[in-house]
Amino acid sequence: MTFEYFVFMLLNGLSQGMLLFIIASGLSLVFGVLRVINFAHGSLYMIGAYLAYSLSATLTDGSMLSFLALLVAVPPAVAILGFVVEVTLFRRVYREEHLLQLLLTYSLVLILDDVVRVIWGGDPRNVARPDLLAGSVDIMGLALPTYNVFILVIGPVIALGLWLLLYKTRTGNIIRAAVSFPDTLGALGVNVSRVMTATFMLGCWLAGLGGVLVAALASVDLGIGMEKIIESFAVVVIGGLGSVGGALLGSLIIGVGITFFQLPFGRWALVFPYLVMAAVLIIRPWGLFGKPER
Amino acid sequence: MKVGLSKTALRLLLLILTLGLISGASVSTAQETIKIGFVADISGVGATFYKGQKAAIDLFIEELNSSGGILGRKMELFVRDAQLKPDIGATMARELVLSEKCDFLIGGTSSAVALAITKVAHEFKKIVYFHTSNGEALTTTDFQPYMFQVVPNTGIEGRGIALALSKKPYKNYAFIGPDYAYGHSQYESFKTDLTKLKPDVQMLEAVWVKLGETNYSPYIPTLMAKNPEIVYSNFWGGQLSSLIKQAKPYGLFKKATLTSMYDLDLLRTTGADMPEGMLGYTRCPFYAIDTPTMKEFVKKYLDKYKEYPSDWACMAYDGMVVLVTAIKKANTIDSDQLVKTIEGMHFPSLRGDRYIRAEDHMANVGLYVGTTVKDPNYKDFLIMGQVEEIPAEKVWLSVEEIQKLRSKSK
Repeated sequence: MTFEYFVFMLLNGLSQGMLLFIIASGLSLVFGVLRVINFAHGSLYMIGAYLAYSLSATLTDGSMLSFLALLVAVPPAVAILGFVVEVTLFRRVYREEHLLQLLLTYSLVLILDDVVRVIWGGDPRNVARPDLLAGSVDIMGLALPTYNVFILVIGPVIALGLWLLLYKTRTGNIIRAAVSFPDTLGALGVNVSRVMTATFMLGCWLAGLGGVLVAALASVDLGIGMEKIIESFAVVVIGGLGSVGGALLGSLIIGVGITFFQLPFGRWALVFPYLVMAAVLIIRPWGLFGKPER
Repeated sequence: MKVGLSKTALRLLLLILTLGLISGASVSTAQETIKIGFVADISGVGATFYKGQKAAIDLFIEELNSSGGILGRKMELFVRDAQLKPDIGATMARELVLSEKCDFLIGGTSSAVALAITKVAHEFKKIVYFHTSNGEALTTTDFQPYMFQVVPNTGIEGRGIALALSKKPYKNYAFIGPDYAYGHSQYESFKTDLTKLKPDVQMLEAVWVKLGETNYSPYIPTLMAKNPEIVYSNFWGGQLSSLIKQAKPYGLFKKATLTSMYDLDLLRTTGADMPEGMLGYTRCPFYAIDTPTMKEFVKKYLDKYKEYPSDWACMAYDGMVVLVTAIKKANTIDSDQLVKTIEGMHFPSLRGDRYIRAEDHMANVGLYVGTTVKDPNYKDFLIMGQVEEIPAEKVWLSVEEIQKLRSKSK
């Protein structure tokens, strides 16, 4: 492989990793604060993608502006859906055992998937890329789609935003405190259940954002939620449950790994995320950036 | 039935039923319709295909009935959804025969479902035809006499495209397709057929996309890494369209041609994203078939539905042509007599004069090969230009080969 091709494959892999990060960071954040593994996160991501499709069908003129409108409008819509789900369902199971929580989130997957099937049907859909992002960028003689470059830019922006939010604001302090010392936080007079709702909504917002991004990258069908939740879960295990930095590292490892190992190993590259996940579980069960449970 | 029906109500019901039976019998056979049961794949990935199939069959029946029907009887269509699942397909076929009393059956889109339906048709001795699902096994190992096929089957298609490609200068191939049984077996036979005809062909790379994946970007750089001149893909429908849209900004089509099945539905969904100059094949392209029957059909179809007929529509229509030609000729709807009539029978296909080969009930329908091109007549999609038909006779199995396959399976 030439050097040019190496760089090209790396960039292409990083763009896949960034997309995965946007989705997986939401999953990780929600687990960190709520202590619930939300299997329905993938379904919320899928709903985001279908919403992007429906909205684009009404306002599509191929302009960058209408695509930005999708990016602005769809994630909050998914966050509002998240609000309803959290207040009516999740809140009841925080103190229950893990099995019950799993049962709830998994049944939610089945229900949401069927709702999507009823509303949008079984046909694959897709959102046209805006003209500005439809072409390609020359990377040392090789063509990388502009859209992948766009994701390469958005990913770090989101990562930076999350970092600023968590480490530089009071809200972030409270969220982080909710991860580590939920009881003390309550004793200090903070409304913990409101923090939980807000965090859940933020997680859903990220899922919705990932949904919009994927709708114009690939096509949207009923299987995408399940497929992404499994990858995201691997990311979260690798990075450490609840750690956003870990989610970033985990996503990039998987995104780059899958893309790179296609060439020498073909279909066996699929095994890669799970090999890394297994290795992390053996050597450092709390994840690369996580902390051992006390 | 409801429990706790009162005695009077029960009597009344019996009375009504008896009356109904008597009056039903007295109306007699002259008025009764000829019933056609269509075991379609309506939901899921077959949805678009179904739309065209149903539209064409409806059009045919409407025309027939308005010109007085056949044998003095009108035709009536019953549709059931097999959902691409063989067990459901078999149940639906049974239901159509037993409950709706259908005289004939029509298959759907999935080859697996077709294998299930053909068994039911055999069991009840009802004639069934297949127009979109195209398993070659229907005419060989799973052959039964009450079946005929009007779509180029997997054998004709596979060997046909290999024959066409062997005449082109391409040597360096790459492949991308779905990582499940169909993808692998189709690719293996494609590779065998092609290298038999052209031994210096090189398969540089085979990229297998995992089931359910809709994002092809991690795969496309690998596909292009060894600079193939031609990429062959056995993706179809929505997945193929999505692959084309995603591969375009990677510059794949500037470096290589993509060979795959470009049926009208695919060309329509891909729209302007379809690159020009791609060498493709299809099963029944209305725009490339210059026969009076096709012209007339396209006109009628366009008038009624405001769109052009897909390959699936044309072939579903052709099946009806065979059926009605045979019924007229035999002057009966008795299955056994019709089977005798159909064997070797010529019929006015939309594709010109065609016949049903007696030994395997396969219509001599060939494969169409061409290159994608913009055409001022069709604004919303590209078509294939310089289309050449590879006649079925050049690539279908010989009768001896078929008999060998059949005796082996017994």
